[in-house]
Amino acid sequence: MEELSDFKYALDESAIVAITDQKGIIKHVNENFRKISKYSAGELIGQDHRIINSGYHSKEFIKDLWTTIARGKIWKGEMRNRAKDGTIYWVDTTIVPFLNGEGKPYQYVAIRSDITERKKGEEMLTSTLKEISDYKYALDESAIVAITDQNGIITHVNDNFCKISKFSMEELLGQDHRIINSGYHSAEFIKELWTTIAEGRVWKGEMRNRAKDGTIYWVDTTIVPFLSPDGKPYQYVAIRSDVTERKLAEEELKNSNERAVGYIKAMENKNKQLIDFCNIVSHNLRAPLVNISMLVDYLDYAEDEEERLEMQRKIKPVINHLMDVFNELVESIQVQQDTEIASDDIALKEAVDKILVGFSPQIEESGARIHLDFDEVPYVNFPQKYLESALTNLISNSLKYKSPDRKPMIRIASKDINGKVRLSVADNGLGIDVDMHKNNLFKIRKTFHKHKDANGFGLFMTKTQVEAMGGKIWVESQPEKGSTFFIEIEGQTAWKE
Amino acid sequence: MERIKQLTLVDDDDVFVYLTKKTIKKTNRVDLINDFGNGLDAINFLKENWDDVDELPDILFLDLSMPIMDGWQFLNEFVKINPFMAKKIHIYICSSSISPEDMAMAKTIKEVSDFIIKPIHKEKLLDLITSV
Repeated sequence: MEELSDFKYALDESAIVAITDQKGIIKHVNENFRKISKYSAGELIGQDHRIINSGYHSKEFIKDLWTTIARGKIWKGEMRNRAKDGTIYWVDTTIVPFLNGEGKPYQYVAIRSDITERKKGEEMLTSTLKEISDYKYALDESAIVAITDQNGIITHVNDNFCKISKFSMEELLGQDHRIINSGYHSAEFIKELWTTIAEGRVWKGEMRNRAKDGTIYWVDTTIVPFLSPDGKPYQYVAIRSDVTERKLAEEELKNSNERAVGYIKAMENKNKQLIDFCNIVSHNLRAPLVNISMLVDYLDYAEDEEERLEMQRKIKPVINHLMDVFNELVESIQVQQDTEIASDDIALKEAVDKILVGFSPQIEESGARIHLDFDEVPYVNFPQKYLESALTNLISNSLKYKSPDRKPMIRIASKDINGKVRLSVADNGLGIDVDMHKNNLFKIRKTFHKHKDANGFGLFMTKTQVEAMGGKIWVESQPEKGSTFFIEIEGQTAWKE
Repeated sequence: MERIKQLTLVDDDDVFVYLTKKTIKKTNRVDLINDFGNGLDAINFLKENWDDVDELPDILFLDLSMPIMDGWQFLNEFVKINPFMAKKIHIYICSSSISPEDMAMAKTIKEVSDFIIKPIHKEKLLDLITSV
């Protein structure tokens, strides 16, 4: 008996113990029970055990408990109870029915231990997990998410990622993340990204990606490395948002700015042409008119027949000269007006060969050597008429202003300079003092050599034609060494295709 | 009656040079008329004869629009050599240009006595010779 009493002592010390009759009326509670429930023994004895119910458990839970113990079986479970002051406590509960001779319970012994702290921890964990899953839900709903391992192999993508990349989840999982690369970013850009995240730092930036069907999309990207305990990334979470529309708007803005700058340049150009035109009228048309008026005056007041005839003879060439200048002027204005002239795809070799045929007497006579190099850019897109006129004029100049000391050597080449085509015609002829003549080189009726055929119209016309097409023309030259004329043409695509 | 010993025309326009020479001769006030077809030939002549009072002109009519070396480029060179000239050379720009820019430009060069718009009439020539 003493041993039994020792057991009871041990139980009372270690556990929360209550005994009820078969109806649930409390008959005994130990010190631990009173302490946790905050009721005195007097308040508890004779009371229904439900006094400590917290109303937390479902009817089924309670029914299952009573059914079990009423059948004489032990019930185990975790219960949430309410103390006298309303505080909640959790207990791990074992209810042992004591059976009478007929095998029916005549009392129930409930042995409990306090698990409130553990339960609180569990609840916190559950709520944290819920919060995390809520975050994940929010992220998946709002952002484009992908997770890769440390080698960049895709291990997870969300629906938004599939939607924008137009790949299915199956097509993406296990693939290298570069599957969506558009090839737009520089090697340095990509390297900087990988260096950053491999060192465990967050990378942010805007990326241009390519979907399965080839469409391009821009994403604002944040890549967060997840670090293992040793501080090395074991996976990367990429969170993106679609900024394609903003990017397109930015590009459009940039384009329209460039267009505006283009218009301004075109207007400046027009203005310059107008000033040039005024100068031409003032210098080149007025000069022959002055001569005619002087000649006419002398005709009126001629002292003798001989003088009169002399004046008459002189009028004709002046009028012819006036006509020439006038016609040249009209021609140049037509070029300036005719900005809608159609461009042709021209095979340079073919075009130059054709021009050279026209110069074959001069080439033969002078022993000129002609070297062509159109390997880099075999085709240009330009009005055929203008290109032929420009090249004819430059080749003609190279032959006309040859050095008396050496046989002419003319090199004609085409080069690609950042998407523009640069044609060059280089000779070893007389050359021009570029510093001295820089303001006049391409002006009408300006000549730089004492040559019977120098009329100052060719370069003026070539420049007019090239500039009408948005191109540029310039010269590099040294007297007695030779000249190289360059023509740069924009907007070339033909030769690339 | 004032007389001019030497007058030089720098102009590439043959017809203009012919007619102007004719006009100058009719004044009977000029002993010798020289002409050059461009600025370079003229400047080279002046450089070679800088100390020869008989060869240097009293008056120089300068066209602006010329091949090889135009009027402005000639002036640019002349300004450098003018201090060494044995004789005061009166330079008159003589151009068909009616551009205000050219006239404004001419005013900035103190070696230029005046800007004459072509043609040069006999009356103008006489005024000019008297003033020199």
